[in-house]
Amino acid sequence: MVKMSKSNNTDLTSNGLIFGTDNPNTIEVKDLRKTYTGKKVIEEVKAVDGISFSINKGEIFGLLGPNGAGKTTIINILCGLIKQTEGDAFVGGYDIKKDLNRIKELIGVCPQQAAVYQYLNAKENIQLFGDLHLVKREKSNERMEKFLKLLGLSKASNRKAKQYSGGMLRQLNLIMALISDPHILFLDEPTVGMDPRVRRTTWEFISSLKETNKTIILTTHYIEEAEALCDRVAIIDYGKLIAIGSPRELIEKHNSKDLEEVFLKITGRRILEGI
Amino acid sequence: MKRQRILALVKIQLKSLIRVPLALFIILLLPIALTLIFGLAFGSVIIEDTGQSVFEFLVPGLFALSGLFMAMPVAQSFSEDREQGLLRRINTTPTTAAEFMGSHLISNMGMAILQVAIIALLTFLMGYRPEGVTAGMILAFVFMVVFSLSSIGFGLITATIAKNPKASGGIVWIFILPQQMLASGLYPLPESTRIISMFMPLHYASDALTLLFNGTALSDLRIWGDLAVLIIFSVVLVILGILLFKKYSKS
Repeated sequence: MVKMSKSNNTDLTSNGLIFGTDNPNTIEVKDLRKTYTGKKVIEEVKAVDGISFSINKGEIFGLLGPNGAGKTTIINILCGLIKQTEGDAFVGGYDIKKDLNRIKELIGVCPQQAAVYQYLNAKENIQLFGDLHLVKREKSNERMEKFLKLLGLSKASNRKAKQYSGGMLRQLNLIMALISDPHILFLDEPTVGMDPRVRRTTWEFISSLKETNKTIILTTHYIEEAEALCDRVAIIDYGKLIAIGSPRELIEKHNSKDLEEVFLKITGRRILEGI
Repeated sequence: MKRQRILALVKIQLKSLIRVPLALFIILLLPIALTLIFGLAFGSVIIEDTGQSVFEFLVPGLFALSGLFMAMPVAQSFSEDREQGLLRRINTTPTTAAEFMGSHLISNMGMAILQVAIIALLTFLMGYRPEGVTAGMILAFVFMVVFSLSSIGFGLITATIAKNPKASGGIVWIFILPQQMLASGLYPLPESTRIISMFMPLHYASDALTLLFNGTALSDLRIWGDLAVLIIFSVVLVILGILLFKKYSKS
């Protein structure tokens, strides 16, 4: 494991890279907080409450937690979609407060909602995101054909997205995130709504990305998905990090038969509290 | 500003022109339908005072009105992109706000030019011969392009207010209807009402087109005054639209 140096404002270089990290594919989150307040919010909501963790190069890192635990908020902060209330985060060595533009060149984001242009076909949607990342057409076409084939979408690639099933849209959503060959990939519930067969194909596909040494941050509701894909997982509840480690480590530590049992043991208070 | 990004975005917006029914209807079919209806209904009705046909009287307003309706597809496209999470997704790419908005302005101005060309061709085929010189006709195109910017501004303001694309289809009429009724030049209005219309960009587009199509000399300051006010209106509306959409639209 490549350890990142402890980052604070004094150990940053002028271009935002953290000293001691020749590893651009790492994420470090330090005491991250996001609190929602304001006129429209009746009660102050701590969506993320002092979370710290780091992710190593080439790792598939799972963020697990019940609904509303703060998983998507963390991803949104790391992608620059929302600003944190407090704390620091570094993506690929760049500070999210100062170097968002550099970060956006490194990342690919597969959002929870299949965000595609319905009136465009799959190829047009994919190429658009290749162009937005300034990928040369030759390269993007080559990658696109490969991904479409791997996910079994080649035949349907000239059909408009509005004619796609939910599972196909999710697969297209994933390819759009990958077309720029990002160093760091954010997958927010990538397989939700897929039938078991398509989900398996997608798992194999995500798993194969490990060979390309990408760092992948994955949020999921499917515990078996996290167990099958992730090198390490972080379990989050009420915006707090309550467990982190490899699935095996967590299973052993909590004396459980699988990750689902671990998850239920440590997030069970919601069930007990009837939330 | 990267050309590859802008071209890619302009391309998909232009594709919406033929693939999204509302855009196809507003940008292409509505101007064609209005021209044909007015042409066939009023082409042979002559106004005694001027010797013009009613259709000839209506043509400048017809051009301006078509540009006004562009606010509808603009509002719908922004609301839809927001609802489908596309704006958020594009925001995770290195695309800048200037590239994104710039591509929208380019594609919508392109659509305005296409719209004007279609109406010009149709009215010509129906026997309408404007009295202006070629430079005047080119200036008419410029007026329409500038006017289309104000419609983009209204479209953005609508998308900011509307919670979803369906709502935007209703809200946009707040901006379209008063202008259509009071400033299009399609209906004769008392002077007191005309004063109200002076607060609407359509008034200046319609007024200038009427002057240009009636053969008014380009040295006439009324034309350039109209252009100056229209530019101010359009720039203010676009900037206001962008700022409001950025600040209040939950994208």
